[in-house]
Amino acid sequence: MNESTISKATALDRRQFLKVSSGFLLALTFPIVANRALADTNMPANATGTAFIRIGTDESITILVGGGEMGQGIYTGLSMGAAEELRVKWEMVKVEPLPAIASWLSAGSGGIRSRLPTFLKAGAAAREMLVSAAAAQWGVATTACLAVDGTVKNTVTNEVLTYGQLAPAAALLPVPTAPVLTPAASYKIIGTPAARVDLPPKTNGTAKYGLDAVVDGMALAIVQHCPTMGGTLASTPGVPPNASTVVALYPASAYPITATTTALPNAYALVSWLPNTTTWTLMEAAKDIGGGVWTIPPDAALLDSTVFKSQAMSLLGRGTPFIAETKGNVDTAFASAARVLDMTYTLPYLPHACMEVLNCTVRMTPATAPFTACEVWAPTQAPNSVLTTAAAVTGLPKTAITIYPMLMGGGLGRKFEQDYIAQAIATAMTIGRPVKLTWPREQDMQRDQYRPMAVTRIQVSLDAANNITAWKNRHVSPSISAQRRTTPLTASDNNATEGATALPYNFPSRLIDYVQHMSPIPVGYWRSVGYAINCFAVECAMDEIAFAMGISELTLRRNLLTTSTDPLAARTLAVVNAAAATAGWETTTVPAGRARGIAVGQAFGTIVAEVAEIGVTKNAAGVVTNFTVYKVACAVDCGTAVNPNSVEAQMQGGIFHGLSAAKWGELKWTAGKASVTNFNKYRMTRLGESPVITTTIINSGAAMSGTGEPGVPPIAPAIANAYFKLTGIRVRNLPFFPGATMGG
Amino acid sequence: MSYSLNINGQTYVVDAPSADTPLLWVLRDILHLTGTKYGCGISVCWACTVLINGQADKSCDVTVGSAVGKTITTIEGLANFRLASDAPGAKGMGQKLQEAWVANQAPQCGYCQSGMLMQAAGLFVNQRHPANGDINGAMQNVCVCGTYQRVKAAINAASTAV
Repeated sequence: MNESTISKATALDRRQFLKVSSGFLLALTFPIVANRALADTNMPANATGTAFIRIGTDESITILVGGGEMGQGIYTGLSMGAAEELRVKWEMVKVEPLPAIASWLSAGSGGIRSRLPTFLKAGAAAREMLVSAAAAQWGVATTACLAVDGTVKNTVTNEVLTYGQLAPAAALLPVPTAPVLTPAASYKIIGTPAARVDLPPKTNGTAKYGLDAVVDGMALAIVQHCPTMGGTLASTPGVPPNASTVVALYPASAYPITATTTALPNAYALVSWLPNTTTWTLMEAAKDIGGGVWTIPPDAALLDSTVFKSQAMSLLGRGTPFIAETKGNVDTAFASAARVLDMTYTLPYLPHACMEVLNCTVRMTPATAPFTACEVWAPTQAPNSVLTTAAAVTGLPKTAITIYPMLMGGGLGRKFEQDYIAQAIATAMTIGRPVKLTWPREQDMQRDQYRPMAVTRIQVSLDAANNITAWKNRHVSPSISAQRRTTPLTASDNNATEGATALPYNFPSRLIDYVQHMSPIPVGYWRSVGYAINCFAVECAMDEIAFAMGISELTLRRNLLTTSTDPLAARTLAVVNAAAATAGWETTTVPAGRARGIAVGQAFGTIVAEVAEIGVTKNAAGVVTNFTVYKVACAVDCGTAVNPNSVEAQMQGGIFHGLSAAKWGELKWTAGKASVTNFNKYRMTRLGESPVITTTIINSGAAMSGTGEPGVPPIAPAIANAYFKLTGIRVRNLPFFPGATMGG
Repeated sequence: MSYSLNINGQTYVVDAPSADTPLLWVLRDILHLTGTKYGCGISVCWACTVLINGQADKSCDVTVGSAVGKTITTIEGLANFRLASDAPGAKGMGQKLQEAWVANQAPQCGYCQSGMLMQAAGLFVNQRHPANGDINGAMQNVCVCGTYQRVKAAINAASTAV
């Protein structure tokens, strides 16, 4: 049986060339550009990045890339950098996942931004070593040698040696510490729409996602949690027909389970190693267990969206805030205001709803304790965190653990978490055989770590001449950071306020503060995190201000950007203008029955503006029942687009994600139970409902920034602003159409 | 109980736990033909689409018992999938679809794309040159990545490919 494997290199040296059996492996470590600080994660301030390049005597050129491939194109983007400096043709390069011991986190749209310099330097260092090896062999100066398309050419004699031929000698040379990089103007691969390396297998069934892992002799298992949030397992249920055993499972943080463990099990794995069993057979068997095995929390009635909403509204007025950003004196400005605008926006909890449900496959060696090794096949955004989890659950040293990062059928921030990993490892340790553990879709939806609900109030003071004199924004939401630490917050949570702070507009005084909403609902990082939540409020408010002033929303934004001294103001203005131009905002007439809305936002250093052109459908009573987004014009400035093909894809993806969420996305709680259990209650935009998206990429030359998430934030306010023009209705509470369902 | 299935031109005799076991799980868990994907299990997302007797259908909603005696095509067999109208010796529609998908760089995470491709193959069985409305109507597959624009372009490219 073909197991899903990658090259196993568990003891990669980070500082030097390693001679391997055929050819060599370059491992070069350089400081990396600081990623956005994800609270309480293992991203040290002065992190280093390692790039691995393997050149085989068979002429194979393999770039090993860490993080995780979830569709964002990280395997392609970073490899393009190494290939550029190696001066090889793009088609010559193969990409493999990097072993977890040297891997990193895919989050914060930082994959390419923070790692590309490392891959460029590694490629250049490898090239210089190959050139030096050739020069030595020919007895000529390196300046007489030219690296081209995987060979080194002697410019005097026209002799040629291939990289594969040179690899063994190159491996013995010292590693250049300051390799000479190719000037950007000479790039042949970076900046081109290079074909993604991971796509052909995605068209013929050979791409291996986590859920596709197959290990000899593996059992199948499904996870069941208490349908009520916070419920625990009262007793391990008996084994139903068509199953082999039941394993009690604990929260990831409780492992390893010892005699002093006080945490209670919160789930069980229903396992089968019967011949020819299926995951579906287990889903059916779970129905025989039923719901009588759970302890429902006594306060379950309070786990209710109505209660949460009233708590948040109450905190809005009298909570104790942390100041996130302050400038000038807002109180003075409001005291002398000619006019005050006061707008409150609310957003619901949202599940990630990755197409691939959570799953993990584990093999312990030997199959029963005492164990000496552990292998984990996981769809994960954080291979190195999986390694840490495996070490904690098994008690094994990290050197005894191998992580095989599998493709992800979407990550979206959910596959950064460790709950499903710990469950699969604990199950394998208990049952004495390898196991593939799957979360049925209903579990994936009901036990997510949700995008936090949020209530955010924006107050604006205007003077008699219609100038904005102060901007106040209070944001109330559960804190992602606080749920991941054992001590209370002592300052604002940037995950909550990002996108509300550091606005590029000319607001002479401003105060942005944050009130933590203590909520028992687990919250997590959802594509673009706080940016999408806050961009909705900020950019809707901008439209409301323009309307109150009686000027166009485009004029207001231009005015506030032109007069701003913010370092991002000029770039933001250029992006707004580009989106407006792409949409034909000032040059074309909007078709009858349609309207355009605009919004702009910065996320993770990338600035995106979107113009949505929409129409609405009304029922006989004149009530709007639907809207159609016909077109979206998108402009993006990510400094430099490494792969315009991927940047465009990420903008399209972000727009769809934000569109579906704004239109229908909502997960409500009733007595601790989630309203969404499957896609039939979580409607997504389908092909026939798709806008035509036109993306304009601005290569401003600013510092490179990511594109996986920044496409999401502006679409919801752009739609809401167009919707107001058509209907006169300001939608301040998302989604537009609650309670949507989706049929087959 | 044993079931004889014709999948991608090959006969597989499989022991499935019950006649009502969905074809999806027989493919994935017993035959390890993992290209067909589980998304929702309730025939809403269409990630598990295969061709049954040349018609696109959701394999989570087709029982193994009912698949006996029918011709099943999965993503693993798409490369060899041909329309009746495909000229002998010329490229088949399956290969055209795969090439168009790559040429248009359609997949992102790729998880729903097996179902998308099989649904598109089924569309071409019924409509050799689908119009815009045909594509919109047939392609109800859910893609969380939002690849629709490129998927549509790929279908149009496959429609005219030679």
